[in-house]
Amino acid sequence: MDFLTLLPDFSTMTSQVFIGLSRAMILFMVAVGLTVSIGVLRVINFANGTFYMLGAFTAWSIAMWVGGTAGFWVALLVAPLVVSVLGLVVEAGLLRRLYNRPRLLQLLLTYAVVLLFNDITKIIWGVDFKTIEVPLKGFVTLFSNVSLPSYNLILLASGPLVAFGLWFFTNHTMVGKITRATATDREMVDALGINSKKIFAIVFMLSCYLAGLGGALIAPTTNIVVGMGITILVNAVLVVVVGGLGNIWGTFLASIIFGVGESFGLLIAPRFAIVFPFAIATVLLILRPTGIMKSVW
Amino acid sequence: MKRNRRMKSILVLSLIFIIAFTLVGGCAKPTAPAPSPAPAPEKSDGPAQEIRFDRNIKIGIVDTYTGPPTVYTYDARDGFTLAAKEINAEGIHGAKIEFVTRDEEFKPDKALSWARELITREGVDVLCGFMSSASALAVSEYVKDEKVPTVVWMAQTEKITGEAGHRYIFHVIPNTRMSGRAAARYLADLPYTRFALVGSDFEFGHAIINTFWKTMTELNPKAEKVVETFWPVGEPDFTPYISAIRAAKPEVVVAAPGGADQIPLTKAIGAAKLAEEMVVYLHIGTDHAGLVALGQEAPEGMYGSSPYHYYYPDTPENKAFVEKFHAEYGRYPNFAGFNGYITAHLIAEAYRKAGSLDTEAFIDAFEGLSINSPVGQVTMREYDHQLIQPFFIGKTVKDPGKDYLIATDIVMISGEDAIPPLEEIKKIRGE
Amino acid sequence: MLNVFSKLTKGQFFSFKLLIIGIVVLILLFAPSYLSRYYLYLVTLILVTVLFATSLNIPLGYGGLLVLHQATFYGVGAYAFAIFLKQGTLPILPASLIAPLIAAAFACFIGWICVRLRGLYFSFLTLAMGQLVWAIIYRWYNFTGGDDGIHAIPVPDFLRSGSSVFYTTLIVVLISLLLIYIIVKSPYGLTLQAVRDNPQRCESVGINIRNHRLIAFVMGGFFAGVAGVLFVLLERSVAPPMLFWTKSVEVLIMVLLGGMFTFLGPAFGAVVVIGMMTFFGIFTEYWLLFLGSIKILLLLFLPQGVLGYIEEMMAKSAKKIEKGEERGYAQG
Repeated sequence: MDFLTLLPDFSTMTSQVFIGLSRAMILFMVAVGLTVSIGVLRVINFANGTFYMLGAFTAWSIAMWVGGTAGFWVALLVAPLVVSVLGLVVEAGLLRRLYNRPRLLQLLLTYAVVLLFNDITKIIWGVDFKTIEVPLKGFVTLFSNVSLPSYNLILLASGPLVAFGLWFFTNHTMVGKITRATATDREMVDALGINSKKIFAIVFMLSCYLAGLGGALIAPTTNIVVGMGITILVNAVLVVVVGGLGNIWGTFLASIIFGVGESFGLLIAPRFAIVFPFAIATVLLILRPTGIMKSVW
Repeated sequence: MKRNRRMKSILVLSLIFIIAFTLVGGCAKPTAPAPSPAPAPEKSDGPAQEIRFDRNIKIGIVDTYTGPPTVYTYDARDGFTLAAKEINAEGIHGAKIEFVTRDEEFKPDKALSWARELITREGVDVLCGFMSSASALAVSEYVKDEKVPTVVWMAQTEKITGEAGHRYIFHVIPNTRMSGRAAARYLADLPYTRFALVGSDFEFGHAIINTFWKTMTELNPKAEKVVETFWPVGEPDFTPYISAIRAAKPEVVVAAPGGADQIPLTKAIGAAKLAEEMVVYLHIGTDHAGLVALGQEAPEGMYGSSPYHYYYPDTPENKAFVEKFHAEYGRYPNFAGFNGYITAHLIAEAYRKAGSLDTEAFIDAFEGLSINSPVGQVTMREYDHQLIQPFFIGKTVKDPGKDYLIATDIVMISGEDAIPPLEEIKKIRGE
Repeated sequence: MLNVFSKLTKGQFFSFKLLIIGIVVLILLFAPSYLSRYYLYLVTLILVTVLFATSLNIPLGYGGLLVLHQATFYGVGAYAFAIFLKQGTLPILPASLIAPLIAAAFACFIGWICVRLRGLYFSFLTLAMGQLVWAIIYRWYNFTGGDDGIHAIPVPDFLRSGSSVFYTTLIVVLISLLLIYIIVKSPYGLTLQAVRDNPQRCESVGINIRNHRLIAFVMGGFFAGVAGVLFVLLERSVAPPMLFWTKSVEVLIMVLLGGMFTFLGPAFGAVVVIGMMTFFGIFTEYWLLFLGSIKILLLLFLPQGVLGYIEEMMAKSAKKIEKGEERGYAQG
């Protein structure tokens, strides 16, 4: 097939890599919230996809309300906060009752939350197609033959920034260190007089913030609709598992493998492109049964 | 602790109640309930009208009301509701239209299940709806056995009236064959020969592109395909495809994006300013639902099609429909709203013509039926039950009075030109 | 509310349960004579789903394996059967026997790879591989019909009427349930439950954990395949959404709602979920809202499942189970 003729072509390769990277960062933005909730709360939170969707919808409302290109930047700041507050409500109302329950139950309950919020979103925002104006227009030429929309550069930059920020938070701040301690031994943290309940709530808000941020960031490139979280959710869950449960850098690496792998897969067999993420996950899980990086569990 | 237990008991009891209620319903109703009787005759009844229906006509709508396609299915339902109001004001031989809706979530097994429920429990006379092609095809086979006339108003697959066609299925939307042919007829008149063919990689995208290319090469043998590429449905990033199109230097790009890809693709075309460099034609590209969502961001000068634009044709019939729709729902109809609207009128007219509630008489009347729709006359083709309806192709332009783009220079491809000739359908069906 | 049972002994419980099952089967036997066509169809659909849900409970409830993508085998069984009939390669009887075996073969392959992994990694590998199968079926137009699915599957005339499909389904489901019951009460089944409750101890006494789990997984796949075949008989149509991951989650919810540590729990859950879907689907457009809320309430307050709860109440009042002896959940 024609991929043999394509392989030596340097510019095709690099452009494919960049395309894969921007895919990877979209995936990472969805997966990173999941990693946090899995790593610390040990809850596989399917509702993460819902918070991602809510991030996009809230961003849309705010951008419409403020108006203009500035609207998006305001939305990018505010929407994740709104989503994290909403996350707090869900945490206090529901998730708090789940921490010591069997994993399957947590999984299904968060899935039921997904169903519930799909209908609530439909009631609040209606069914019309929605989209936010791309705040950065124009293209950036990287190599002779490779040019990317300027906005994709923001996506490309935001992934590593978020990953680094999270890493800094968990390793070099007081709250982050307590969080890590809570993840390892909740009872011990309680015994030291720290309210682990509060820590859990903060962590869940953080994971919702990240999901909302992902939704807001991706909103300008896509069609904001009910159910937008469902498709990408499976891939995001697999990224988290393959990366090693709760490991931020593992998730980051796995996102890149998924994204770049898929974009090269498109070159080889475009008809079966949707097969690639699952094939990659299968192969990686067989090769490294506990994820490519060390799990925090 | 005690309260908790009581809560549990209440939950268990109420569950058992719901199940019992649902299941016992089955024994209580051994036969499908007949729709309520027609209202008493009004005194203004014309003397010529001797036929009187003794009951109302019941219609079941199965469509996707969950997820992205809802922007269309709601419009179709509302268009249908509006038409039903008009019809009921007048009556069909003294009878009215009643209808119920069911949500199939874009899942064929659900669609089948609801179709069964509507036919065998609700006892509907006619079934309508179906956004998903798979659902439409699955239900088509079922209603063939049940002998219940079914109108597909959203799924565009050509199989419905092609190889899978039969006496009980009707198609009220330009199918993929018609859209492909219409696009080819329009673009063949332009002085260009280098074509790029792109689309969403599923049945729908391939079907449109294939018919387009077949017709195009017949109309213009010099037409040359410089690139053909399909992206997976739900593609998050269209940059690579735009680059590939640019690199091939075509004069015309023909794109057939699926519902989910429409908006991101149009955005990407706008961002890359592709429509300024070459002719870009997008299937369903000028439909209201998409353009209104994109606002000022939609690219100007992009060619697109739709079976219906609320601002074209500028006739009293169309204006009347749009005004009524806007007054009722506070928005303008997209093409689905138009489809739902004419479907109800087609069904009503067929019943009027049949003068009987009998299914076979209804179908005989429906075959070859013509009505005046907001866009002019439409006719149900007798042989394959495909509605002969016009198709509109235009070019996007900014409108000073609106915060979204509209189509201009709209050209109407008549239904007769768009619909594939009978011989083609006969060949497909092996007759 | 369940004080009635407080004076029953364990043996009497068992006969009481048998009595209830007997009555249900007897009522079902004459269903075509008093149920309208739609409800007969609904009952048939529920029966198919009952088998589907129970098939999941072999690896899940008895094996303690958190299988996240059981719909794969349901779909593979249905697709295999549909393709055999559509292409006319096999007559209906051998096709209906071979299709579940193909599903079992898929389960064997996927299971063989998956049982090496532990806990959540196992679960998510089943999810990944199930989605892989879904994606291939979704894309392979020439063979599986792609996103359009396969319709107008030719089923012989004697299997086309509602009551003949119902009786075929009823008989197959009853036989399958009986087989599953025999399996889980056999020495193998008891060992499997021991493996679920305490894998370390089992391993130390020389039980091959992996093999036991793999067998449970394969049997689950086989019976899911049987359910898939029955689904094709009923609907004469298959399409990719029937093996999408959300379908699997739906079935997981059924199993959990009914009670995964009781034999009939999943069956009960299937009745509840399909009943509620139909009930709310008819009465409101926002049925997801109601269904979602009820699911949340049930899962929160009755984590052991409805039937599990009833059994627990019976057992508690009969004072047969002492505290601390309650069976544990699937290990994760």
